Amino acid sequence: MRHIGFFFRFFIRFSLRNMKKHLGRALTVLLGIALGAAVFTSVRLSIHAALDSFTQSMDVIAGSADRVLVQPGGRVPEEWVSKLLKFSAVREVSPVLTTYVRLAGKQSEPFLLIGIDPLMDRGFHKWQILQHANQDGKSWLELIQKPSSLIIGKSLAEKYALGRGDHVFIESTRQTDEFNIVGILSPGGLAAAEGGMIGLTDIATFQEFTRLYGWVDRIDIKFEPNAESKDIDKFRKMLPDNLRLGPPSAAKESGQGLIRSYQLNLSILSFASLFVGMFLVYSLVALNAASRRRELAILRAVGASPYLLFMVFLAEGALFGVLGWLTALPISTILVKYLLKGVSRTISLLFVKVHVETLSLSPWEILLSFAVTVFTSSVSALQPAWEAMQVPPNEALEISRHGRMRKTSVRKLLIVGVGCLVLVVPLSLLPKILNMPLPGYLAILLLFTGFSLLAPWGLQRTGHALSPILHRFAGIPAYLAGRYVRDSGTRTAVSVGALITAVALFASLVIMIHSFRSTVELWADQTVSGDVFVAAKMGQINQFRYPISPAVVMGLKEFKNRADLVPSRRFYLRYNRFPYEFELLYLKNFFLHGDFVWLKGNPDRVRTLLTQGKGVVISEVFSNRTGLTVGDIFRARIQSSRVSLPVLGIIRDYRTQGGVVFYSLSQFNTRYHDVQWSGCRIFIKDRTHDHEAAVMSVKNDIVKRWGDKLDIVSGNDLRKTILKVFDETFAITTVLLLIALGIAALGIATTLTVLVLERTKQLNTLYAVGAGFGQIRSMILWEAAFMAVVGEVAGVLCGFILSYILVYVINRQSFGWTFLYAVDWRALAMSLPLIILAALAAAYPAVKMVFRESPATLLREN
Amino acid sequence: METEKEHRTKSVIHARHLTRIYKMGDSEVVGIDDVNLDIAPGELVVLKGDSGSGKSTLLSLIAGLDRPTHGHLTVADHDLTDTTSSGLTYFRRAVVGMVFQSFNLMPTLSVLENACLPGLLAGNPPDRIKSKAMELLDWLGLSARMNHLPAQLSGGEMQRTAIARALINDPEIILADEPTGNLDSRNGRIVVELFAQLNHKWNRTVMIATHSNIADSAATVTVCLKDGKIDGQPCDI
Ligand SMILES: Nc1ncnc2c1ncn2[C@@H]1O[C@H](COP(=O)(O)OP(=O)(O)OP(=O)(O)O)[C@@H](O)[C@H]1O
Ligand SMILES: [Mg+2]
Repeated sequence: MRHIGFFFRFFIRFSLRNMKKHLGRALTVLLGIALGAAVFTSVRLSIHAALDSFTQSMDVIAGSADRVLVQPGGRVPEEWVSKLLKFSAVREVSPVLTTYVRLAGKQSEPFLLIGIDPLMDRGFHKWQILQHANQDGKSWLELIQKPSSLIIGKSLAEKYALGRGDHVFIESTRQTDEFNIVGILSPGGLAAAEGGMIGLTDIATFQEFTRLYGWVDRIDIKFEPNAESKDIDKFRKMLPDNLRLGPPSAAKESGQGLIRSYQLNLSILSFASLFVGMFLVYSLVALNAASRRRELAILRAVGASPYLLFMVFLAEGALFGVLGWLTALPISTILVKYLLKGVSRTISLLFVKVHVETLSLSPWEILLSFAVTVFTSSVSALQPAWEAMQVPPNEALEISRHGRMRKTSVRKLLIVGVGCLVLVVPLSLLPKILNMPLPGYLAILLLFTGFSLLAPWGLQRTGHALSPILHRFAGIPAYLAGRYVRDSGTRTAVSVGALITAVALFASLVIMIHSFRSTVELWADQTVSGDVFVAAKMGQINQFRYPISPAVVMGLKEFKNRADLVPSRRFYLRYNRFPYEFELLYLKNFFLHGDFVWLKGNPDRVRTLLTQGKGVVISEVFSNRTGLTVGDIFRARIQSSRVSLPVLGIIRDYRTQGGVVFYSLSQFNTRYHDVQWSGCRIFIKDRTHDHEAAVMSVKNDIVKRWGDKLDIVSGNDLRKTILKVFDETFAITTVLLLIALGIAALGIATTLTVLVLERTKQLNTLYAVGAGFGQIRSMILWEAAFMAVVGEVAGVLCGFILSYILVYVINRQSFGWTFLYAVDWRALAMSLPLIILAALAAAYPAVKMVFRESPATLLREN
Repeated sequence: METEKEHRTKSVIHARHLTRIYKMGDSEVVGIDDVNLDIAPGELVVLKGDSGSGKSTLLSLIAGLDRPTHGHLTVADHDLTDTTSSGLTYFRRAVVGMVFQSFNLMPTLSVLENACLPGLLAGNPPDRIKSKAMELLDWLGLSARMNHLPAQLSGGEMQRTAIARALINDPEIILADEPTGNLDSRNGRIVVELFAQLNHKWNRTVMIATHSNIADSAATVTVCLKDGKIDGQPCDI
């Protein structure tokens, strides 16, 4: 206890007072750490909020069922409700129907309509109606008693100013009907589903509205408490082939898995900011330790233990962590607002629909960000603390050792650095661990560390090689700068390391995003080809569970002389646990106008076989997730049919829900069973005349005839939307990246300033022996230029390697896809000089700092 | 009586009412106060005085490192009272050479490079500077040390390197602030002897500030400072 008290008093006098003396530097470093911590914290918090709301929503919708009965790709006949109850193991059942609908007329946001039997459902889902003073609390009974009555969630009510007694028109994929709101859900239970954007009706009302008489989406089942697993197995065996009994949480788990991958990737990206911040802490603590070497020797001479000195410098690092994290809190509250919106939009677009209304402050996430911040900044202080501990007490006796430079062996760092880099290759070839691309991330960490450790060597070599040349062409200041950079060892290398990290991150993400985008563009042009796309109204959001009605299909077929039709049918299924889409496509016409983006298999051969129905093609994501590849047999149950077909080829596909399997629609209809169209693409036959006009005319015809039944979009608009979604998704990445670059600039600014302050005496000597202000300023600018150029060249090199890892390891393992590697030379050529300029601008405070005190202080010894 | 003008032309250092006051927040500290000084060319001046008496302050004004608060200062026909900063830079390069107590060598440059530095800064042809530096270092007994870094030298060697650096641009005046302060007495005497040679063999004006008596025997003029003012003779420290 006394020890701790002493330590704190000593720390305050020795370290804090020194920091106070050089407040500017300390605050800059603090700002760097705070920015890093803020980015990390807010990314974690906002994705956690999305994950939390998704999980909660899935949980309350799943309710407390033990199992659910579904038909893959189809629906369950309602008669199974009474059939199930005859089994002795079954205690309770509840039929459920769900669909996304929206308020008619307005361009309103879709919400989830749930149809249940309020009596049967009582044991499954928890929900209650908000009580009003003059009510008897029985308004839920009105759901059964009054047809077309509806209870809505609070967010929905507030968003469109709806209340009890209001009449609303609701639009489903099939038709529009009038509903009567009989209550608002009170908080808790089902009210939390979809962030409160839900409506609840009686199952009969639902079936009437959606024309699904006699069908339900699923039946929730509770077994008798004493039912054993063998009873349940026996029960399962009695079910017909096309029905499947599954856990209620399957959709939740796969959704969570996708969000977690995204969370991991974004966390790592945001950690990069903290990583860059580590360089800042390191450089300041190292400066403190080095510039106070003599004091340390004296302290040791008068009896301080090496351990004490070690702890003091470690505590400096930790203090930066704690204060940085605290400073991060206000920054986070601003950042998190932006991120929350962006993150939940991205997740909704790419993975699963989430509604995040409020930020749930998870204590675990907050603790995690605190621990990560304090840990990283303490780790950065480790090496300087170790150095401080090694100062021998007899150094106190040496008089005036100005000019003595301690050199960390550049060669040693080079060897360790090369060692790190060598390990990158085998690590990035390893498969993922615990379902996460951990070896890949470790490879990235080693890549950064390796390059940073090479920085001193790189600086030494460049300084060595360039300083004579510069002497001839740029004069003595450039020469001196080169010499200084050459000999300054690890000092300058630290901020160069920070720059390398940030530039590498920048270059690799520019390359990755460009590769991703140009591949998606290619995919959109070839695979998402078509002049007009039609689908059943709200088809996409309802996973195409409502096909286009036969009457409309008949009508669409009338366009055959003007256009080639490519009808399709999509089923949302699971392969083992992995969700995918099984898409039937009229391939004969599709291949006339479009194509897949082929990855494996001979395209010509595969197109022929595929059109003949001799097999399927699968997407890269599907292949990576399931392990299926060319030559394997793909097996699935599609509604009432069992499909077993060889995989002919693998294609690239970037649709949101992950994997896709394509098969011929016409062959499916002849070989298995007839399926209805869920959508149709229309290609104008005559592509020579005014194409735009022809497209518009077909589109307008369709809108006029079936505007209320179909979602109609022109191919150009659809492809534009795809790319817009893509760009929005990467907007977050860009923001995170810019922050990391900003922190690196802070790093350069502090290092240079510190280097100037540290050399006050040398600079004053230069002045005294005849250097002009201009010469000294230009020397410092040249130093900055050296650091910036070395940092940038190494950073770009590192970035290229990193982009390979990102495209071929991280993306493949996290999301299952890769892209055609493409370097955006233009963006790089435009932005890299800007980074150099920014680094030079970061030298400005240092240049200003020179001669803040009169050079005459040089004559004042001690 | 000589006129003011004649004084100025005859003396290499000419100071009138030279005052330097340091402002430290609200308080003021007097560095030197109303100093009048005339030094003829070719003297070896020893500037003496207790610690804090203003020796370094005076030296820094004469070296063009600092500007006076009041008064006039002319050094080798350069009016230092109101020159531009580029004028001062030229002055420091060409007119004076400085030697410091703690040597102040550039740690990353070799002995030869340190010696060449002012010549390079002045933009003189590198080859000429280099041969000049080698000559000087040879004279100073450092030819074997030419490619060593300062950290590998003894104190005496460092100070001799600093002297070579001070001489590279052929300055008229050599200024030294406590040049022996960080040296043992033997090395101290060697350094003083070098200054004496510079003075009488090469006819340079030399000004050494010190509070020890080590340079007394070499002095042709002794100036005593006390509390920032020139004190009447004799110097009693
Ligand atoms: N930069 C400065 N700021 C404030 N006061 C200063 C400064 N430089 C010198 N002084 C003050 O001016 C006075 C003269 O100092 P100076 O360094 O010239 O003395 P000195 O004779 O060289 O002493 P020493 O023998 O210790 O070197 C002292 O009181 C000193 O505290
Ligand atoms: Mg002094």
